Amino acid sequence: MSEQDLPPFFGTWRRAYAFAIAMFALEVALLYAFTLRFS
Amino acid sequence: MNRIDYIVLIATILAIPLYGLWRTRGHPSLPQYLKGDASIRWGTIGLSVLATQAGPITFLSMPGQAYESGIGFIQNYFGQPFALIAVCAIFVPIYQRLKVYTAYEYLGQRFDQKTRLLGAFLFLVQRSIAAGITIYAPAIILSALLGWDLNLTIWLAGGFVIAYTVVGGTKIVSLTQRYQILVILIGMALAFGIAVHRLPDDLTFTNALSIAGTMGKLQAVDFSIDPSRRYTFWSGMLGGFFLSLSYFGADQSQVQRYLAGGSLRASRIGLLFNAIVKVPMQFLILLLGAMVFLFYQFEQPPMFFNQPAYQRALERGYGPQLTALQMQFDDVFVHKRDAIQAMSTASTENSPALTTQVRELDAQARAIRDQTRKLLEQAGANPKSKDSDYVFITFVLDHLPHGVVGLLVAVIFCATMSATSAVLNALGSTTAVDLYRPLVRPSASDHHYVIATKVLTAAWGLVAIAIASFASLVENLVEAGNILGSVFYGSILGLFLVAFFMRNVRGSAVFFAAVVAQTLVLILFFTSSIGYLWYNVIGCAAVLLFAWILQQTVFRNAQPATVES
Repeated sequence: MSEQDLPPFFGTWRRAYAFAIAMFALEVALLYAFTLRFS
Repeated sequence: MNRIDYIVLIATILAIPLYGLWRTRGHPSLPQYLKGDASIRWGTIGLSVLATQAGPITFLSMPGQAYESGIGFIQNYFGQPFALIAVCAIFVPIYQRLKVYTAYEYLGQRFDQKTRLLGAFLFLVQRSIAAGITIYAPAIILSALLGWDLNLTIWLAGGFVIAYTVVGGTKIVSLTQRYQILVILIGMALAFGIAVHRLPDDLTFTNALSIAGTMGKLQAVDFSIDPSRRYTFWSGMLGGFFLSLSYFGADQSQVQRYLAGGSLRASRIGLLFNAIVKVPMQFLILLLGAMVFLFYQFEQPPMFFNQPAYQRALERGYGPQLTALQMQFDDVFVHKRDAIQAMSTASTENSPALTTQVRELDAQARAIRDQTRKLLEQAGANPKSKDSDYVFITFVLDHLPHGVVGLLVAVIFCATMSATSAVLNALGSTTAVDLYRPLVRPSASDHHYVIATKVLTAAWGLVAIAIASFASLVENLVEAGNILGSVFYGSILGLFLVAFFMRNVRGSAVFFAAVVAQTLVLILFFTSSIGYLWYNVIGCAAVLLFAWILQQTVFRNAQPATVES
C-alpha cells in the first residue's frame, strides 16, 4: 500500500483502526456512565 | 394522514429516485453499472452502507423494542466496529486487488467454480427471501393502520424501487441511499424532538430520563455473564462480531456498496465511518423509543397498539372480555400516571416507596397487555408481527403534526427502498456475474452483460414482490429476517475464512465441508430449539473443521485448483 492510499487525517491505517476502536471504547464508556446514572 | 402528508410523502419518495435517474442518465459500461464510477466518494459509500443495513424494520421496530424491553438491544451492535475493522484490513484489499465484481467471484479465483456457485447460491436463496420480507414488513403495518390495500402497498414500495435500480445500477443505488438516509435521520430527529417536547412542561429532560431509568428502560450496558440474559455486553461482542463479519464481509448487498467507486481508501473510510456512527445512531433510535414510552406514561396509550387486530377480536364476539380488560388498563394507567408525577417531585425519603409503586403498576399494565394478546390469539385475530412493531407508527400517526406524519411515513418507504435497491442490485449482479456469464454466455460483450444484469435485477425484484405477497405465512416478520440470515451466514462466512486463513485447503474440501455444514445447520434449525444467533457460529466453525478434516483425509492428494480469470 502506498502513502497515497492513506487518509490524510488518520496518518496510517493502523492509526485509523486504533482511532475507530478508541471511539468505540469512548462510546461504551459513555453508555455505561449513562446506565449507571439513569438505571 | 391528510393532503399535506400525502404531498410530503409522494414528493419525498419520488424526488430522490428521479434525481438519481437524472444524475445517472446515459449508457453505463459494465464496470460502471456494477461498481459505479470514481465519482463515488467515501461519504456516499459510508451512508450507503449505513442505509443498506438499516431497513424499514429498524425504524419501525427499534423504538417499539425500547418501549417494551428498554435500550439494552444496543449491545447487539458492539461487535460491529471490530468486524468492520477486520473487513477493512482483510476483505477489502483482496476484493480491490483482484478487481472482482462480487464476493463469490473471489471464491472462484481462490478455490474453483463449484465453490463460487455454492457461495452465490446460498446468498441468492437467503437474500431473495429477505428482500421479500423487507418489502412485506412495512407494507403489512402501514396497510393495517392507514387502511391501504396490502398488495397496492407492496407494489408501491417494490415496483418503484425495481424500476430505478434496473435503470441506474450501483451508482443510482449509492446516490439515492445517500439522500434517503438523510431523510430518515432528519425524520427520526424530528420525531425525537417532538416526543421530548410533548412531555409535561414541569418535567425536565434529566427528570424524564430518571423516570424512564427507574422503569427499567435505560440499561444500555450489562456486563453480566448470566447466559439467561438476552442482551449483554459479552453476547453483543461475540454474536455481533460473527454476524457483522458475515454480513459485511460476505454478503454481496454490502460488498457491492463498499466496492462502489473502486478506491481502497474510499471503501475503508466509508466502513470506518460506520464503525464509529452505528452505535450512537442506534442508541438515539432506541432512546426515541424510551421517550415514546415516557410520553405514553402521561398520555393514555391504546391497550393494544395493533388496533386492526383488536377490532377483529371485537367483531368476533370478544367485546365483553376486552372491555373488562380495558377498564382495568385505564384504572392502572391513571394510578401509574399519578404515581409518576408524584415521583418526579418527591423528596428523597419518599422516592423509594413511589418507585416501588410505579414499578408494580407498570408490571400490572404489562400483565393486562399480555392477557389482551392472548385473548386476541384466542379470537383468531393474532397479528403477523409483534405489537411493539406498531408502537412507533401509532405514536407518529396519532400525535405528530401534519406534514411531519407524511415525512415519517416517507421515512419508512425510504428505508424500504434503500435496503431493497441494494439487495436487488446485488442479486442481479451476482446472478449475472457468477451464474449467467460462466455458465450461459461466457464470452459476450460488456453491453450484453449490462442488459442481462438489468433483466436479472428486474426478475429478482418480481421474485421479491411475489415472496412479499406470500409472506403472510410467516409468523413473526422481524425474527424471520434474523433467523434466515443466521441459518445461511455461518456457512458463507466459513467459506471466506477458509479462503483467507487455511491456505492448504482446496476447492473440493471446502465445497463439501460447506454443503455438510449447511445441512447440519438446517437439521438443527428444524429439530432443535437453540438460539438462532448460534447458527452463525456453528455453521462457520463446521465449515472450518470439516474443510480441514476433508483436506487431511479424502482430498489429501488433490491438486491445487486452476486459478480462473
